[in-house]
Amino acid sequence: MTGLPRALDGVKVLDLTWFGAGPIATRALANMGADVIRVETAKRPDGLRVVPPRPEGNASLNVGGYYNNFNAEKRSVAIDLTTERGQELGLDLVRWADIFATNMTARAVRQIGMTWDVVHEANPGIVAMYQPMQGMTGPHSEFMGFGAILSAVCGVNYLSGFDANPPVGVGTNYPDYVVNPMHAVTAILAALRHRRRTGEGQLIDMSQLESSVAAFAGPVFAWDNAGIAHERAGNRVPFAAPHGAFRCAEVPARPDRWLVLACLDDEQWRRFAQMCEHPEWADDARFGTLADRKANEDALEALVASWVAKQQGPEALAALQAAGVPAGLVQNASEVLADEHLRERGYFVTLEHAEAGARVYDGPGFRLSGTPVELRRPAPLLGEHTWEIATDVLGLDGDEVGQLIADRVLY
Amino acid sequence: MPGPLSDLRVVEVCGPVGHYAGRLLADLGADVIKVEPPEGDPARRYPPFLPGVEQPENAVTFLLLNANKRGIMLDLASPDGLEGFLRLVASADVLLDSWQPHDLAALGLSEDRLRAARPDLVRASVTGWGLSGPRADWAYADIVAQAMSGVMNLAGFPDGPPEQVADQQAHRSASINAAAGIVAAILHRDATGEGQLVEVSAQEALSMAQETAMMFADINGIDRQRTGNAGTGPVRIPGVGLYEANDGWVYLMAAGTAGSGFEGVVATMEALGFDSGLREEPWATFIRESMNRAMILQAMADPLRADDLARKLDHVDGVLTEFIRGQSKRDLYEVGQGLRVLIGMVSAPKDISTSTQLNARDWFVEIDDPGRGVRLRYPGPPWRLEATPATLRRPAPLLGQHTAEVLGELELSEAGR
Repeated sequence: MTGLPRALDGVKVLDLTWFGAGPIATRALANMGADVIRVETAKRPDGLRVVPPRPEGNASLNVGGYYNNFNAEKRSVAIDLTTERGQELGLDLVRWADIFATNMTARAVRQIGMTWDVVHEANPGIVAMYQPMQGMTGPHSEFMGFGAILSAVCGVNYLSGFDANPPVGVGTNYPDYVVNPMHAVTAILAALRHRRRTGEGQLIDMSQLESSVAAFAGPVFAWDNAGIAHERAGNRVPFAAPHGAFRCAEVPARPDRWLVLACLDDEQWRRFAQMCEHPEWADDARFGTLADRKANEDALEALVASWVAKQQGPEALAALQAAGVPAGLVQNASEVLADEHLRERGYFVTLEHAEAGARVYDGPGFRLSGTPVELRRPAPLLGEHTWEIATDVLGLDGDEVGQLIADRVLY
Repeated sequence: MPGPLSDLRVVEVCGPVGHYAGRLLADLGADVIKVEPPEGDPARRYPPFLPGVEQPENAVTFLLLNANKRGIMLDLASPDGLEGFLRLVASADVLLDSWQPHDLAALGLSEDRLRAARPDLVRASVTGWGLSGPRADWAYADIVAQAMSGVMNLAGFPDGPPEQVADQQAHRSASINAAAGIVAAILHRDATGEGQLVEVSAQEALSMAQETAMMFADINGIDRQRTGNAGTGPVRIPGVGLYEANDGWVYLMAAGTAGSGFEGVVATMEALGFDSGLREEPWATFIRESMNRAMILQAMADPLRADDLARKLDHVDGVLTEFIRGQSKRDLYEVGQGLRVLIGMVSAPKDISTSTQLNARDWFVEIDDPGRGVRLRYPGPPWRLEATPATLRRPAPLLGQHTAEVLGELELSEAGR
């Protein structure tokens, strides 16, 4: 951690997001120096506060790794926005903020009184990012779902995996974690620039469906313009072969070890064949060009698999990389955490959290050399900053805060 | 209304890992100038191809990711080409490159030399591994970063290979992070006049997409594994997971408290004219009182209740399976969601193309591509900025299409200095 000035120092964010796609976006803003205030309640906590992973036997709302990783460096104020007084305080935070963000459904936004017309009237200069699953207009604007539903609707599931299997998806709620939050950050920062130059705020209508399809648009574009119907193709791609995951020799210390490699051009294929001491593969007419290799891909992959099956993963990887062939190992999460390259680059960070202890957080997805993106505090406890925000930001005195707590408006 | 980046010039000289970053900045209004070698960007030769258009102008993915950019041809390996490139950088606000350290050295370039050309340059480096660390010069491909980031380990069946997420998601994740970082760096430059380096590693950009896997490893010492179709739990719960419709698949999460739960599923059966029998006893009570994922998992652990429960769940699941098999995925999705059921259709590309919602919102944009003699339908931008909307202003450049135009602009602006 450098303590240097950051790109968004002084920027104020009202964070009404929850689950994945919203909080990861506002975390990126916080890690660039923005003051991000999350409004939460114990009555209806962020769904990620109540699910694993968490230390065994610990049911606290403050120790879940899923929540904490996505909310580092934010402040948390516990206000019940479904109460009349709570909504007034929420609007005071709208007036305080430069940026407003929510990924709640339209219905939930109405329940807490934070629709665009209300927010805009309270603060005409605000940049407001609404991120419902299907956008703010249109016949499906009230449709609901988590990332698992969205993965199905946006095309990830149909196209990922092997054709012989049903389209079960990719084992995660994929669009929630990079595609949707980081698209949102790009839009928010662009709108902030417009605001700084003109004084004008604006509405950002972030349809998670549109955002996901935009990052996944190749097959749709190919269908619309070339009539090409992409199907699930496992680990193959149209423009490279061999291209896939191959099982290494079984070793007790690391069973189920898979090596990936990709020959992106003919030269990489020839280097691969030479490296594994099968120069005859490079001369084989079935495999001379990409078109040849695609036409004989089953036979090609059988040869590659037969070679990889006799190799130890790390040694094969080193040999492939030394030959300039793109290759890697399929790492599990422990291996990613221990990854020497990521360690030397300081990607993961460990932060001391009052209840969860010393825990690992993902680092930023991009780095800025002059104005570092860095995690300076862990995730907040639920309502950890209620007192300081009530007094310093909302301007309430101690008696008022006490009364609001007694009235169950603040926690 | 011009886009929020319409005053900016971006010079893009990068491989496929960064193409989408340039596209995002262009959609926000920036003048993105794509620099290609004389033989063209290698991605121009990547299948699939547009029928009726010749190489090197027919690569479908290239056309998608490079729309809205101008294109110039420069041979950076020649002294003249490199000099022209540095003049172009001098005119630019942002340089977007994917050079690994050895590439930069081979060109005789350095961060200092780039910054000498343009002192307040925002340089964005988008590579597989980042610019530092023991793998900085390793060969990179999308699937390699997907593997090394931990994402592939989670996708697939327990007895099968790890699976990539389709459509080059390491490239895409790196590019989206780069676009966000570039706009942040521009905000800082606007305020202080200082440029800086934006650095993205595809492996790092994807790490967050491990979902909970990293945290399970850190907190519980457990490595999440591939679970195929069993990711939804130890027992098959009606209304959770994948079901086969008469024309494809739907995915449900309809046995919880979110939305209308399984009651909503029964209402969907009624709305689509299916006689389920589930409004009659004992099913009505069972569904009202017991069809909740958390309660089912708890009850299944009780040996006195498990057998009876399993029989009832089997019956309900059989009814649901039969119902879904007789319907189209789109009807199930649209009618079900209308009744607040958490259901999604598993969309094929053609379903997305004809999506009720995307088309009602006029998301797709058609533009003429006169250089190729075609009209193309482009997916829209990932966001709608009400005051400064994204625009699609031109198709992808033909190879070298704007070389004379851009070099002419440089001479004019240099002469006017």
